[in-house]
Formats: sequence, structure tokens, C-alpha cells
Amino acid sequence: MNRFRYFLRNSLAAKVILSTVFLSLGVVWLTGSALYSQLSSGVKEVNLESSLAEARSSFFNAQYQFLLVQDKPTSQINKTTQQIIKSSTQVGVNQARKDIVLLKIEDTTLSDPRYQANIYNYSSEGITLKAIPPTLRKELFKKEDLVYQYSTLSRLSGVETESLIIGRKIAIPKSGLYEMYLIYSLTNQRTTLDLISNALLLTGFALILLIALITWLVVRQVVRPVREAARIAEQFTKGDFSQRMEIKSNDEIAKLGTSFNEMALSLESQITRLENLSRVQQRFVSDVSHELRTPLTTLRMASEVIYSHRSGFDPTLSRSAELLIAQLDRFERLLEDLLEVSRFDAEVAVLEPVEFDLVPLIARCISDVGSTGEDLPISIDMDPELEHVMIKADIRRLERIMRNLLSNALDHADGKPVRVAILQTPTEVAIGVRDYGEGLDASALHRVFDRFWRADPSRSRVRGGTGLGLSIALEDARLHNGELDAWGRPGLGAHFVLTLPRVAGEQITGRPLKLEPTDAHKFER
Amino acid sequence: MTLVMVVDDDQDLAEMLGIVLTGAGIDVDLVSRGDEVMDVFRNNPPDLVLLDVMLPGIDGIEVCKLIRKESMVPIVMLSAKGDSQDVVRGLEAGADDYMVKPFRHPSELIARIRTRLRRTNADVTSLLTIGDLQIDVTGHEVMRDGKQISLTRLEFDLLVALAKEPGRVFTREALLGEVWGYRHSTDTRLVNVHVQRLRSKVEHDPETPEIVMTVRGVGYKAGVTGGS
Repeated sequence: MNRFRYFLRNSLAAKVILSTVFLSLGVVWLTGSALYSQLSSGVKEVNLESSLAEARSSFFNAQYQFLLVQDKPTSQINKTTQQIIKSSTQVGVNQARKDIVLLKIEDTTLSDPRYQANIYNYSSEGITLKAIPPTLRKELFKKEDLVYQYSTLSRLSGVETESLIIGRKIAIPKSGLYEMYLIYSLTNQRTTLDLISNALLLTGFALILLIALITWLVVRQVVRPVREAARIAEQFTKGDFSQRMEIKSNDEIAKLGTSFNEMALSLESQITRLENLSRVQQRFVSDVSHELRTPLTTLRMASEVIYSHRSGFDPTLSRSAELLIAQLDRFERLLEDLLEVSRFDAEVAVLEPVEFDLVPLIARCISDVGSTGEDLPISIDMDPELEHVMIKADIRRLERIMRNLLSNALDHADGKPVRVAILQTPTEVAIGVRDYGEGLDASALHRVFDRFWRADPSRSRVRGGTGLGLSIALEDARLHNGELDAWGRPGLGAHFVLTLPRVAGEQITGRPLKLEPTDAHKFER
Repeated sequence: MTLVMVVDDDQDLAEMLGIVLTGAGIDVDLVSRGDEVMDVFRNNPPDLVLLDVMLPGIDGIEVCKLIRKESMVPIVMLSAKGDSQDVVRGLEAGADDYMVKPFRHPSELIARIRTRLRRTNADVTSLLTIGDLQIDVTGHEVMRDGKQISLTRLEFDLLVALAKEPGRVFTREALLGEVWGYRHSTDTRLVNVHVQRLRSKVEHDPETPEIVMTVRGVGYKAGVTGGS
């Protein structure tokens, strides 16, 4: 049932066909039953009239015959009665079976005692007087003319037949008045009516089938282009913009097709334009990269050569060599970050996921980041049973996220320890980096991932970050379908939580590591 | 004295590379065009080629393929792009190692060059077997059923590294340290590409390797010696 409902909801054709069939079913039923009632009443009327006419002639004939023999001897009357019974039960005009009941009316016995014995009561085989409805008999006594009634006649054999019973009083000479009933079986009429109703049913059924078929044909004409449009739109979603709708006529459907195709064309050209832009951007990034890196390489090597000889220089020259090296480092980092940002902007950043163990990677990042500055303590909080945290991710990007988070934390830790927490669930891996430095206020939290934004412009930059680190880290996390969130309170430090799907590209279902650190309240004043 | 051929179209960088390498006691042959490489190469075969990707004449990747047709000399590509397609293309063309400009320190470059030039340690047994291969470490030869298989020096080093410790599973990072001389590197592409190249030369069927086996999620190990 649910499937049927689903089918109905999802198929316009089925919906239209079904409602058409239901509506036409109503119409066919109404007209059919009207037709049937008219036809059946017509048949009954004709049947009744012919039966009445025949009965009338039978009664008339009987009376005439008895009139002819009224002065004849009893034996003659007896013979005539038998003849009348026989002729009256002969098969009539409507080919149906006919029966007769002849019954003397008790209180009409002629006074002459000679006639007392002349009783001609008779009923056709299998029929008793009980078969005649009492109402009809009562009516017969009252009237001088014909009386009739439809009735279900039960024979002694138990068979019941629908019948028309026509009665009249008849006088038999030298005997008295009789009730005479002619019983017309209506079997034939029933057969005719059944035939009519069957024919009507059959016609109605065929009509509905035909209507369904026609509706289907018509609906298909409308639905096919709609389906076609839906299919093509699906192709669009998949990135194939080459498909177009076929247009054969000039009707509304064709107009739909034309506008659809126009839309497709416009979409295709827009996308091509954007793709070209992105390609140009990518080329530019690649060119800038190449053009800048070659001289930078030369510069670096030259400065290294100079730097390696600094022991022989006077102090200002020696310091200058150091500054040169440091600034070249910074310049290079800035260049790398800028190129990475422009790759994200051009949406050409590619994820290269491999499966690896996160724990040694984080340990390495900590030792690398820690070793560049003064000895700041970084501790790792993790489940001691968590020796390995396997993850499928882009190792280079993950390393960059960790370095960015760690150096950011160290920059703002004010010499206090930084804690790293690792947590895993079957579907996610979460890494928290917590510092207890000056913290962040609400407005800063909004901007912490903005490019070149600094929490405190007057602050000295210990690690010489480029100002792009967190923004790149966020983009890197999102490239994995992961998320990077920041928490901070002035004076309470900050907490950055990286949540990654265990397999890059899958969806994360939640945040196993809470953003609000559990130790936040400890420092509340 | 060791001779390194430096192929770079940037005159200043080439000169600087020359200064640094000469300072480290290495002779340098400077070539600035891709289409000149093969002539110089044939006239004066170097011990190692430092090859830039972007070159006038013929592109560095093509030059790499040309050299590989004739020689198993170590090739280190210099790439200005970190783009992995470039790196992988270079490695697939036959480069042993690559360096992305700008290098962190000239010493890093020299270390890489020295790793590529170093002779395989003499302290290991000179004859090793891996699968159905015989390795003559000192003679720098790999044989199967008496037939020699031609490998680049790096592929040879990779094979020897695995064969030296038959039971050990090497992580990609460990191989990077062992074969390429990297201290901390996570660039597993280098390992992946070279394992593929090595397999294509030494395996009966590279799709079902029997010499260099993959240990899923960890790395690689040597195939069982004497195996079919």
C-alpha cells in the first residue's frame, strides 16, 4: 500500500490515469444504471402487456366456451373444462411456461343439489393454492375484471420462480363461480434482463479500459517531455551540460523545451566562463609561483653562502646576514601561504588522502614547532590506550593544520603550557589545542579565521606567522569535510578544535571533542 | 671528482648552484637548454643530473625520459611547483628524487645529492636474495635465472633496503629515511611511484607482487625468498 502511494506520488501519469479512471467509472456507472433501469422497465412493460392480452383472450375464450356448453350435459361441460385447461397452459407468446389454477369459490354453489358434485378444481403439476398470494385473491373477489400480481412462486419441488399471476372469476355452467389463475413464468424475462445487464457491464468495463488507454496516451505526450527535462536536469547536476531537449512542435511543451534549452545554454556558457576564469587563475598562480621561486632559490642560496661566512664579518654585517636569512624565510612562508590561499580561492586545491597514523605526525609537529622558539612546554592529553589513531587524510595538509594551530597557540600562550588532546570515535577524529594565554573575546572569535587578522596588532610576533595560518587551516579542514572551531575567553586562553572524518570526504556526524574546554571554569574569577 | 650536470634555464640560479656545489667539492657542468642536454651528457657523462622541470627547447620531463633511455644515472628534478602532478610526472619519467624550489637550505640539496651518489654500504653481505632474485650488492647487479635486470641506482637501493632485512615491514617514512636520506618527510608519493616502477621491472605480474609486498596500512616488505 505504501509502495502504491509512493508510486502515485512519484508518477504524474499514474496520478492522472487513476483519477480519470475513477471519474469515468462514476460516469459509466451512472449512465449504465440509468440505461439498465429504463431498458428493464421497458422489457417488463412489454411483457406484462402481452401477457395480459393473452390472459384476457384466454379468459374470454374460456367464458365463451362455457357459454356454448351451458345447456349441454355435464360430461360435455367436463370435456370443455379439460380443453380450456389444456389450451390455457399451452406455451404463450413469450415462450415462457404457463400454469393454471382453477378453484371453486365456495359460497357460489348453485342451489341445485344436482350440481353439488360438479367440481372442477384444478392446479397444474407442482402448484398448490398456497402459491397464489392472498392479496391477489382478495382483489379478485372484489373485482369483476382481471387482476394481476408479480410474485415469487414456490412449487412443491421447492423451486422458486418469479412469476406473473393473472386471475379472473369464471363461471362454469352447472357448477358455479371459479377463481381462475394463469401463472406466467418470468424466467425468459429474467434471462433477457440479465443479458442486458451483462452487456452493459461489459461495455462499461471496456469503455473504462479504453479511457485509461487514451488517457495514458495523452498523458504520455505531456509527461515524456517533462521526464526528459528532469533527466537532462539530472545530467546538469552531474556536470554534463551538453544535453538538450528535443523540440518537435510549437505547443506549450515545446515552449518548455525551448526555455529549458535556453537555460541550459546560459548555464553552460556561465560555467565555461567561470571555468576559464578559474583556469586563468590557476595558470597565474602557477606562473607567479615559478617566476618568484626561481629568484628566491638563488637568493636563499646566496644568503646561506654569505651567512656561512659571517664569523669573519664585523658585527653589523653579521647581524645583517642573520636578518637577511630570517626575512627570506618569512618571505618564503608568506609566498607559500599566499599561493595556497589563491589555490583555495580558485577552488583548485586538491585533496590527496592516504591512510596514516596521526599520533607520530602530531608528535613530530610538536617537536618541530617547539624547537624553533624558546622551550615552551606542550603536553599531549590522550587515552593511554590510543597508541595509534589511523586516519585517511591529506598528510601534508594535516601537518600544516597542526603546525598552524600549535604555533598559533605558542604565540599566544604567554609562556604557559599548551595542551593537545586527541579523541577518536568510529567515524571521527578530533584534536584539541588548548592554550592558557590572554584568550580571545567574542568579537575576536568571529574574526580569528579572517586573513591577515591579528588578535593584538601591537603584539610582537614570536614565531613570525604570516597571518594566513588559521585561515588556511580552516580551509584545509573543510577540504576534508571536517571543521575547525575556536573557543576563547579573555584571560582564560583559547581552544581550537579540529574535527575530521576518519576517512577524508565523508561527513562528520558530530563533535566528539567539546569546544568549551572542561577546565574553563577553573580560571573563572 | 664527482661531476654533476645542472640543467636550468635561469643563469643566476645555475651559477649559484655551481658556487654551492663547487664549494662542496663537486664539479659542475651547466646546461641551460633542454635540447642541449643529450649532447653534453654523451660527451661528458655526469655522475648525477640536477634537472629543472621548465626548460626551453625540450621540457624537463622529456629530458628525463631521454636520459633514462640511455643511462641509469641518478636524476634529481628541480621543480618550482609543489603541484603533485608535476612531481609525480617527473618521478614517473624516471627521476629518482625531486626538490621543490626554493630549497630550505643549500646543505639540504647537497645532502640529497650525496645520498644519491653514495655507494651502497659495503658492510652488508654482498649477495642477497629476495623472492627468486639474486642481488650482487658490490657488483650492483640483479639477476633472475641468470639474466640481468637493469635497475636505476635508486631502484637498486630500494630493493637492497628491503632485501637486507627480509622479515621487517618498512613504513613509507622508514624507506624515505633509508633510501632517500630524508629525516622527516611524509611525502609518500616518492615511495609509491618508485615501488610501482620497481615492481614493473622485477615482478612477474606487477598486479600481484611477489617481490615487493604491500602490507596494508603500514608499508612494504620483502617477498618470501625461494617463493615461486
